[in-house]
Amino acid sequence: MVRSQIAALGILCLSPVCAAGQTLTIASSAPVTSMDPHYHTLTPNESAHGHIFDRLVEQDASGHMIPGLAVSWTLRDEKTWEFHLREATFHDGTPFTAEDVAYTLARVPTVKNSPASFQIYTRAVVATEIVDPHTILLKTATPYPLLPQDLLQVFIIPHKLGPEPATEDFNSGKDTIGTGPFRFISYQPGNRIEMERYDGYWGAKPHWAHVSYRMISNDAARTASLLAGDVDIIEFVPPADLAKLLQDPKVRLSEVVSNRSIYLWLDHSHDGTMPEITGPNGETLPTNPLKDLRVRQALSLAINRAAIVERVMEGAAIPTKQYLPPGNSNHVDDLLPDPFQPERAKALLAEAGYPHGFRIVLHGPNDRYVNDAKIVQAVAQMWQRIGVQTTVDTMPWSSYATRAGKQEFAAFLLGWGVASGEGTNPLRAQIATWNPQRGLGTANRGRYSNPAVDTLLDQAMGTMDQQARNQIVLRTMKLAMDDVPVVMLHLQKNIWATRVGLTYAARVDEDTKATGVTETGR
Amino acid sequence: MTAAEETPFRRFVSEFAASKVAVLGLAVFVVIVLAAIFANWIGPQNPYDLAQLDIMDGRLPPGSASGAGYTYWLGTDDQGRDMLSGMLFGLRISLAVGVGSAIFAACVGTTLGLLAAFFGRRVDTVIMRVVDLQLSFPSILVALMILAVLGKGVMNVVLALVIVEWAGYARNVRAIAMVERKREYIEAAMCLALPWRRIMFGHLLPNCLPPLIVIATQQVARAIALEATLSFLGLGVPITEPSLGLLIANGYQYMLSGKYWISFYPGLALLITIVSINLVGDHLRDVMNPRLKR
Repeated sequence: MVRSQIAALGILCLSPVCAAGQTLTIASSAPVTSMDPHYHTLTPNESAHGHIFDRLVEQDASGHMIPGLAVSWTLRDEKTWEFHLREATFHDGTPFTAEDVAYTLARVPTVKNSPASFQIYTRAVVATEIVDPHTILLKTATPYPLLPQDLLQVFIIPHKLGPEPATEDFNSGKDTIGTGPFRFISYQPGNRIEMERYDGYWGAKPHWAHVSYRMISNDAARTASLLAGDVDIIEFVPPADLAKLLQDPKVRLSEVVSNRSIYLWLDHSHDGTMPEITGPNGETLPTNPLKDLRVRQALSLAINRAAIVERVMEGAAIPTKQYLPPGNSNHVDDLLPDPFQPERAKALLAEAGYPHGFRIVLHGPNDRYVNDAKIVQAVAQMWQRIGVQTTVDTMPWSSYATRAGKQEFAAFLLGWGVASGEGTNPLRAQIATWNPQRGLGTANRGRYSNPAVDTLLDQAMGTMDQQARNQIVLRTMKLAMDDVPVVMLHLQKNIWATRVGLTYAARVDEDTKATGVTETGR
Repeated sequence: MTAAEETPFRRFVSEFAASKVAVLGLAVFVVIVLAAIFANWIGPQNPYDLAQLDIMDGRLPPGSASGAGYTYWLGTDDQGRDMLSGMLFGLRISLAVGVGSAIFAACVGTTLGLLAAFFGRRVDTVIMRVVDLQLSFPSILVALMILAVLGKGVMNVVLALVIVEWAGYARNVRAIAMVERKREYIEAAMCLALPWRRIMFGHLLPNCLPPLIVIATQQVARAIALEATLSFLGLGVPITEPSLGLLIANGYQYMLSGKYWISFYPGLALLITIVSINLVGDHLRDVMNPRLKR
């Protein structure tokens, strides 16, 4: 009965597009704030824009760099990169040339009212030189080995859009012209984006004729819409629903360990009294216990990471002591997650001069990371057991984010996603000594400082040979993490759920791409 | 004093006892209050002591055995908190916040309502316009704004509830006092040139009390529900010291996964508490309303 109705609809639908292929409905977990690809550095935006626009350099599902609109790139000299471009056409039929690359790099810093600019990814390029329509030279002020990684973030737009195209014209669809596998049909903020297959795409022809990209930020509603058959694939499956979905014969799960680590910052900024840390009876302490490596080690050894992963994260994470997952070229193999050894933790505390522990306040957001408030509570339980009397304070991200950057918290939970999958990113942003002039330690909220790490990191950044640089990065990572600047907890898994009959090639970078969804049959 | 002698209090008690539902409501409420007061002795665990919780005991179904040897009769939440202990301690917070805020709000609202009724004119206008302004906002919205500014904490919740609730008392008390103010005994007191404070609190207030008690009972139930709502939204009490609303919030995401007990039992406790208070309040209103007298 149902089948015959569908057949009848098929006959009614006479347009060639309708007959040729099917619609894929994606439910994303967060609203896409704009269709301007250079407006807001936000993962949900980049995930959606990747359907319409291409970058010079792309990432495969496991995070390795692959050619995008550039077929290859080489170093001409220490400060000049040469990019060879591919033959491709934009959705309006104009061919893609080096001029579009130069235009895009010039446009990025001019976007008005950008809440988080893409400028950080184009800043390194001080000059461009078009050699021929398919070759361009990008020049940097100093040797800069990470240019390809930075260009991973920059979507190319056509130069015929003219000077300073407005963000509104991208939202309306007037300027939403890319070289990607799908072309723009419509965008309703906070609701959905409609796209159709672009037949002139340079890569493999997409299977799906039409993509409906819906935004469903409520976790329960997203799961329910998959179970009801309203959508074909959902991203960020809530851990609470994992057990149920695993048993559901109508649903298939795809997962991969992500580049997003969850960890606790410890305060290194106070040498003397840290207001949020007091003695076991509430008395003022003359020094900050967290400056003592033994105390930091004790706080890490007290945590039962396996229990957090199993009970709080429902298996949607793996314990870690570093920012990048196994399999990544910047993952240090001999840097294992700290074991759960409460007795040794107590001994270390006693050795450091705190046999009766101390009092500390542990802060966390309650609406930012997966199960953030629950993780903080679980850690507080475990610290309590080694004699560290822990008070938990959670608040919404909007007030948390600013306060967590002011060095007023003793210990606080944060996450860091390494979008480029490259090890110097967390080291430069988080571990390097705070130095905003040099762009180092910009996210070093605990104000950790270790001259040995800084020296090694400078050395890595000056090394253009990738193999040699990787070796230095691994040494830096090991040296830094053994000093416990932050108490690493786990790396989240990215989990997608599809209706049975589809599979998704789970991606490290959190993007949900229609081209990654394949039909497998029942 | 003989058994046949009828005092106002006795008449009140016998009239109240005439409704079996109200007596049942009162009995249930007394049991709930006692359970909350003696939570330390009834509950097997101190749910606010993090060292007594074990995450490995998280989300156990009702009747499971704990690692420490006792039984989780109503199961555990995601942090390994015994639901029975958590609910008893949570009831304590919910009741304290509800009753505390109702009493504070009653004091503030009654005083302002009496002042408005007694002095009239400009005092009345100013106070009642503030009341109008206050009542034109949804109370949950006002409470959310206050807590967003003040931050979390039990005392802040009480303060927010007082700010939200005083206006209701003020308006009701003013209406009652306006009627009483025209009565002869007030006129007599005025003629004696008694100080205004004495007339207001010594003569006017006692005659406004019966309806005030009815309003206060209903406001307690309202305050408990509002506190639960605020905690559910994550703006009330700290997460390590959950009230009933926060316990419900902890469990609702597991409802679809079949782990019903985390939300269900605190929800049931909240429901029973509010219904029992409302039963008592409704009947009090009937008993104390002279127009309904047989």
